[in-house]
Amino acid sequence: MVNATLAPETTERAAHDDPAVGIRGRDRHRRRQVAVAYLFLAPTLLFFAVFLVLPLGFALLLSMSRWSGFALGDIDPVGLDNFTGLFADGSTFLAPILTNTLLFALGTVALALAGSVLVATCIDKLRFQGLWRTLYFLPIVTTVVAVGNVWKYMYEPGGLVNGVLNALGLGSVAFLADPDTALPSVVVVQAWASVGSAILVLTAGLKSVPESYYEAAALDGAGPVTVFFRITLPLLRPSLLFVCVTQFLTGLQSFALISVMTKGGPGDATNVAALEMYRQAFSYGDWGTASAAAFVLFMVVLVVTLAQLWFFRRKGEDA
Amino acid sequence: MTPARRTAGLSRRHFALALPSALLASGCAAPHQGIGRPGDPIVLTLLSHYASGELKEALQGPVNEWNATHDLVKVRTKAVEFTDLLTTLMVRQAAGQGADIVHPYCLWNGQLVRAGVLRPAPPEHAEEITRGYGKAAVGSASVGGKVYGYPTEVQTYALYYNKRLLREAGVDGPPRTWRELEETAYRTTRRDQYGNTLVQGFGLSTYDDSTTVGQTLALLNAAGGTFVSTDGRTTAIDSPAGRAVFDLEHHLVAKGASAPGVNVYQAFPSGQVAMVVSAGWWTTSLKTLMGKAYRDVGVAPVPVPEAHGKRATLSTGFMLGVNAACRHPREAWEFLRWLNTDRVGVKGATATRMSALQVSVGSLTGRADDMRTLLGRGGDPNLRPFLDALAYAVPEPNVPGAQQAKSLLRKNIEALWTGQQSVDEALRTTRRQVDQEVSHSW
Repeated sequence: MVNATLAPETTERAAHDDPAVGIRGRDRHRRRQVAVAYLFLAPTLLFFAVFLVLPLGFALLLSMSRWSGFALGDIDPVGLDNFTGLFADGSTFLAPILTNTLLFALGTVALALAGSVLVATCIDKLRFQGLWRTLYFLPIVTTVVAVGNVWKYMYEPGGLVNGVLNALGLGSVAFLADPDTALPSVVVVQAWASVGSAILVLTAGLKSVPESYYEAAALDGAGPVTVFFRITLPLLRPSLLFVCVTQFLTGLQSFALISVMTKGGPGDATNVAALEMYRQAFSYGDWGTASAAAFVLFMVVLVVTLAQLWFFRRKGEDA
Repeated sequence: MTPARRTAGLSRRHFALALPSALLASGCAAPHQGIGRPGDPIVLTLLSHYASGELKEALQGPVNEWNATHDLVKVRTKAVEFTDLLTTLMVRQAAGQGADIVHPYCLWNGQLVRAGVLRPAPPEHAEEITRGYGKAAVGSASVGGKVYGYPTEVQTYALYYNKRLLREAGVDGPPRTWRELEETAYRTTRRDQYGNTLVQGFGLSTYDDSTTVGQTLALLNAAGGTFVSTDGRTTAIDSPAGRAVFDLEHHLVAKGASAPGVNVYQAFPSGQVAMVVSAGWWTTSLKTLMGKAYRDVGVAPVPVPEAHGKRATLSTGFMLGVNAACRHPREAWEFLRWLNTDRVGVKGATATRMSALQVSVGSLTGRADDMRTLLGRGGDPNLRPFLDALAYAVPEPNVPGAQQAKSLLRKNIEALWTGQQSVDEALRTTRRQVDQEVSHSW
């Protein structure tokens, strides 16, 4: 009976005797290792192929076709017509839809970033930090529909926000019904809802700032403002980069909150690209336009993300 | 190799052979495929939005009756919420899993016909539908002059008003003309010192496409106008009637008698809206929401621009049609005929099963005779104006691209209400955008 554990030793001894056999054996062994590696990777690769490559390819095909969404046999190639249609004279895609999308994302990032830096810095100096982090994280675990509806009621003419304004002797504001205030009102809610995750990342970032820097600054007589702008903020840059990029990506692609609060209205005042894509595909049966819009949004997301990475890298931060 | 190992190997091989066979067999016997083994009944699937509560039970009753009395053809219902209905229809159809019988909102009929989803009704059924239903119901269930299904619930629009609020403002009854409508709206409107609306004279609401557009189209039809041209290829809203409607709404908002940002479905039951144009389905909800206060609710026909003007309003509806991919269309049409045409005894009278079903949930069908029979026996008097409107209502346009045209109209109405556009701009933009999109859909 041959002990299986002795087998490699036999091969090695043979390889020692004949170099060519040794090389062939090593090649065979490497090939087997590669095959096994791919075998282990196969489920993941299959997952990506089915859920990423295939839909992406299908979306690319649809972006250059006309399709009503009902029968695969009805896909009708139209070249770049869907893309030119998006930017044609009279189309609302570039303005206000894409403009709204960028303003929504930019406003959300600016508010959420400023708010989270402020709150995270405060939390870092408080007791029961876990409790505070949990409290600020609560909106993340609440459904968008609930958040949107509660804020919608708060913004209504007889709602809490207008109640406070009235108590201060100010007139009511039609927050969601006025095209000038509708988008900023939704931006505030999105920023409020996303500030929790940013606080988590930033408080972790604050923990990684060495205490000795603050001690040295204190010895030099630096005030809290100087410490914040010269020590805390520069050393938070990796966390800020992460928060900035992820919040911007979320902002550019989000539509659920807008769908709940304003349905894109009044008019097109709060309509964003993702909401328009959903409507084009599932309500109007124009999958070609929806897919073309998706690729345009993809390009916008790519450009914005690369610009952010370039900006932070220029400041010496490695992505 | 030991005997035990040989047994295990055989077992695995058998399993490997049995698994695909079992999957294949179960796939072949899937309900949407119809017949499985010879002698098995045909199983038809019916996809509707009667997904919950009394609607689901109301449809399941006749379906159970059919299944109990028919051995060869059985019907299985599948239901989704209305908001998911078009998406479900689309996804299932693309996946080759479309239901045999579909229950679409008639607005989508042009889109569904163009995509080859709906099968035209066979001549004998088309004749029965044309003969048995009102003009608006038949119009909703038809595309390009061809009938595609049996109309089910039909909603007509009328004016809901709060008798108490009108009385308090010194107004005797509901307005009949637009001048009376404006006067009543201004007299009943109340605001507090901060500009908060306490009572809207006339409720205009940005709640959703159907609310915003439904109100406007009902007034447009009452003014003798239509949203799209007769051939369905262009919009007809940029007309004197369209201008009159936009002017009326603009005045009401500008003078504070309407506050479009307020949810009218909450404000009216709370006594914060004096008048609002809406569809008949709302009566049931109002009864539940308002309790005793429902006695203050009255319903009148949509006012017309001039006294003695010809009445008209909007009607919307659903229909039951047969999928073009259905493998047993004859059986499917037969079931629909049984459900929508055969008469049964209901409370001492006779009516179709569908009419009985719809009235049981506070809705109407396009069969005016059935409705008179069923509603004439102690029904809610507020339903009568909706029933009368079946005779003169104009069906909601259902051309290809109708859903998008409706959304574009809503956006421009909202832009008008919020002062982003003047009446002229709103009419011009609606015409340009809708014409562009509707022509694209053809």
